[in-house]
Amino acid sequence: MPSKSAYLSILNTALSTGGDYAEIFIEEKVSQVVSIENGKVDASSVSRTYGAGLRILQNVNSVYGYTNDVSTKGLLELAKSLSNSFNGKQVLKVETLKTKHFKNNHPAQEPLSEVSVEDKINYIRPAEKVMREYDKRIVRTKAAFANSQSKITIVNSNGFIVHDEKERGRAILSAIASDGEKYETAFEGPGAMSGFEHFKNDVDLVALAKEAAKSAITMLSAKDCPSGKMTVVIGNGNGGVIFHEACGHSLEATSVSKNLSVFSNKLGTQIASKVVSAVDDGTIANSWGSNNIDDEGNKTQKVVLIENGILKNYLIDTVGGRRMGMKPTGCSRRESYKYEPTSRMSNTYICNGKSTPEEIIAATKLGLYAKTLSGGSVNPATGEFNFGCSEAYIIRDGKICEAVRGASLIGTGAEVLMNIDMVGNDCARSNGMCGSASGYVPVDIGQPTIRVQNILVGGNGGELK
Amino acid sequence: MRFNTKKFFELAKAHGFEAADLNISKGHSMSVTLYHGEIENYSEENTTDAVARGIINGKLGGCVTEKFDKNTIEFMIDSIEKTARVIETNDPVIIYKGSKKYHRGSYYNKALFEVPFEEKKKILFEIEKKLFAYDKRINEVASVSYSESSEDSILQNSYGLKLKTKKSDFSIVAQITAKEKDEIRSNYAVFAGNNLEEFDVDKFVKELADETLKKLGSSQCKSKKYPVILNPDCSATLIRAYLSSTNAEDVQKNSSLFIGKLHQQIASKKLTVTENPLTKNVFFDYYDDEGVAINKKDIVKKGVLQTYLYTLETAAKDGVEPTGNGYRGAGKASAGLGYIIIKPGRKSEEEMMSSIKEGVYITDLEGLHAGMNARSGNFSLQSQGFMIRDGKLAEPLSLITVSGNLVEMFNNIKDIGSNSKFLLGGKASCPSISFKKLFVSGQ
Repeated sequence: MPSKSAYLSILNTALSTGGDYAEIFIEEKVSQVVSIENGKVDASSVSRTYGAGLRILQNVNSVYGYTNDVSTKGLLELAKSLSNSFNGKQVLKVETLKTKHFKNNHPAQEPLSEVSVEDKINYIRPAEKVMREYDKRIVRTKAAFANSQSKITIVNSNGFIVHDEKERGRAILSAIASDGEKYETAFEGPGAMSGFEHFKNDVDLVALAKEAAKSAITMLSAKDCPSGKMTVVIGNGNGGVIFHEACGHSLEATSVSKNLSVFSNKLGTQIASKVVSAVDDGTIANSWGSNNIDDEGNKTQKVVLIENGILKNYLIDTVGGRRMGMKPTGCSRRESYKYEPTSRMSNTYICNGKSTPEEIIAATKLGLYAKTLSGGSVNPATGEFNFGCSEAYIIRDGKICEAVRGASLIGTGAEVLMNIDMVGNDCARSNGMCGSASGYVPVDIGQPTIRVQNILVGGNGGELK
Repeated sequence: MRFNTKKFFELAKAHGFEAADLNISKGHSMSVTLYHGEIENYSEENTTDAVARGIINGKLGGCVTEKFDKNTIEFMIDSIEKTARVIETNDPVIIYKGSKKYHRGSYYNKALFEVPFEEKKKILFEIEKKLFAYDKRINEVASVSYSESSEDSILQNSYGLKLKTKKSDFSIVAQITAKEKDEIRSNYAVFAGNNLEEFDVDKFVKELADETLKKLGSSQCKSKKYPVILNPDCSATLIRAYLSSTNAEDVQKNSSLFIGKLHQQIASKKLTVTENPLTKNVFFDYYDDEGVAINKKDIVKKGVLQTYLYTLETAAKDGVEPTGNGYRGAGKASAGLGYIIIKPGRKSEEEMMSSIKEGVYITDLEGLHAGMNARSGNFSLQSQGFMIRDGKLAEPLSLITVSGNLVEMFNNIKDIGSNSKFLLGGKASCPSISFKKLFVSGQ
């Protein structure tokens, strides 16, 4: 790792041709994974990521380079090569660097990097067994534990050095059920930025395993989902993927700043029904999607995106902020040093409303109850999104009835947000990975039970009757 | 820092490894993005990684590293030992002695890196300018980018096997939106190869612009079953999803559609799929990640499944030869499908369409990770396309879903077109395919 004076000369070399901002991002990350399949430990591996990314900005234009050669010589060469992209005179010189300290809001008593592989195996084994023995139609089960420890150093031309260390862990469960012809898979993946104590004390992995096995078996005998426009009740927790896809991505500066989002220039206007308020909060203690600082070295924040249907703010990184004339919101993230950071979500959720989940179901005469969703995607330019339902039921006369499989929900963000007419009081969050311009990053999605009118359901089962 | 391969194998032996292998890849890449007449982004990459595996007491351990210092080899050996120690399965573990014959080669064009940077940039400016000038309704060129990369890989193992390959490629991507009244349609195009002379700016611009403009004025069709034609991209996407069930590990672990289907009819007689990663294009490979030689082979011939896809481990379990489909990160390999060629039929797309009174032509399928259950074959996917009326393309459709079951669908192919297209996303050469009936939801 270079010294303080070496950092100065790397930054100043980078700025030598007219750049107005330069940043060095150094990362060392060790990831471990171990898995049990059908009762036996079948795989285990260790990966070590190591490298540096160097970014130079000139107004809203950027150059970015990355290398595994983190020596002073290697980074100076990279700085020189990248600076050749600009041909102006030096406008900024960094004279001193000060180390910025911040509080670690995500303490761990038993850091995962110090937990033995054997202890992790002992932790996941009972959950795998529960799934395997749940029903003889469960044909394949897998439980895994993955954890990573990252050490990050960010040095930039604003004159500061900042270090961060973070550890994340995730238990992953999957069960495949089959009747010999059809196959249904169910998944659970609780994750956190915490120590092993959280997994042992706060996560009931065996209960989640039962839930996964039950879901796979239920869906096996489900009928094909009907299709057409319906009233859809979306379950709490991972149902929040609807907000993530339908709205969250379209609020990222990446698309907003270039007027490529349906929500560009809509601040202060009503973009959702009055019952909807939503937040992105990167500060939640020990949460999977949290960080102490973002990947530009700024403190993470709680950002109110929508309040009672009115658009209040966007998710803004430095470059997006320059384009929009707005301040960054501490949300600039990247998968690793191989990616230039950009505006991303962290823990994003719809806030609690007033109805109970039971009231929402009872108030629905005919529709779909999408209990869990399996991920989706969005085109921010058109706002068109899709997501799949992993467990879903038909609601008849205010009651949850038969299970249906193969349902997908599609629509446009602008429309679906206006069509949310009931919001429950049972907000929960769920953990996932979000893929976008700067790679895959851990995020929380969340919401209480909500009801959406008139959403297009795709399925193979004909008309809903 | 130079990696001392000899020392790695010596230390592995000293630690009692029965066998070990090591795959080192060095990559360089550069990319440049244009936005509104300015270079918005330039980036370059220079990385090396090493993937190592070892067998100790009959168990396999693995490790990946990007850090190379004086402790790297010890770190790798230690990680392999620690990870192998906990394995409980008695599955066969193999480090490969080598195939009899390899079709050695590379897909590398030195000349690509000799073309001056200014010329590459010039192409981007030209594309952007021509896209904006093409039609007033093209309201935004979100980005135009050029990327190039080269990769050198060496796979070596303790039996003395040594395989090398070198690859290079470039790609040009443009993203645009078109607007008419309140409707916005977005689209992108990619061109990839390793010879810049093959790139035709006007053709690229025209195809992207025409395709995007045609999507304007879209509506939703009535929800019902229609005869459906999938364009080459969508056909290849669904064929790859269907053939994901050929993974032998899934068959052995009771979780594949194709259990007991080897040498059985799994699709219409019209469908023949050949895998040939030896084809000289961006998907070229002559050995897999476990060192097994890659050969051209039929996966499906006249609708009959010809083989499962094997790694060394799954092949040993079934007592067959590995098929050269082993892909891996650290540790255990899993089987994957390389570049495929779908045998074209005789009818042009227009001829296939001419017999359809009312049908749907699909041009885009979205959200495969959410709406596709490949294991069961069921899917329901967000789509875009056009109505087919009286044998011809009619109004555009958006926000519709196409749903069905892969088994049913591929057993009910009506026709395979003659319009084969090289597809980057589908890793295939594939024509359009016409299906008898699929459920399309809209209104």
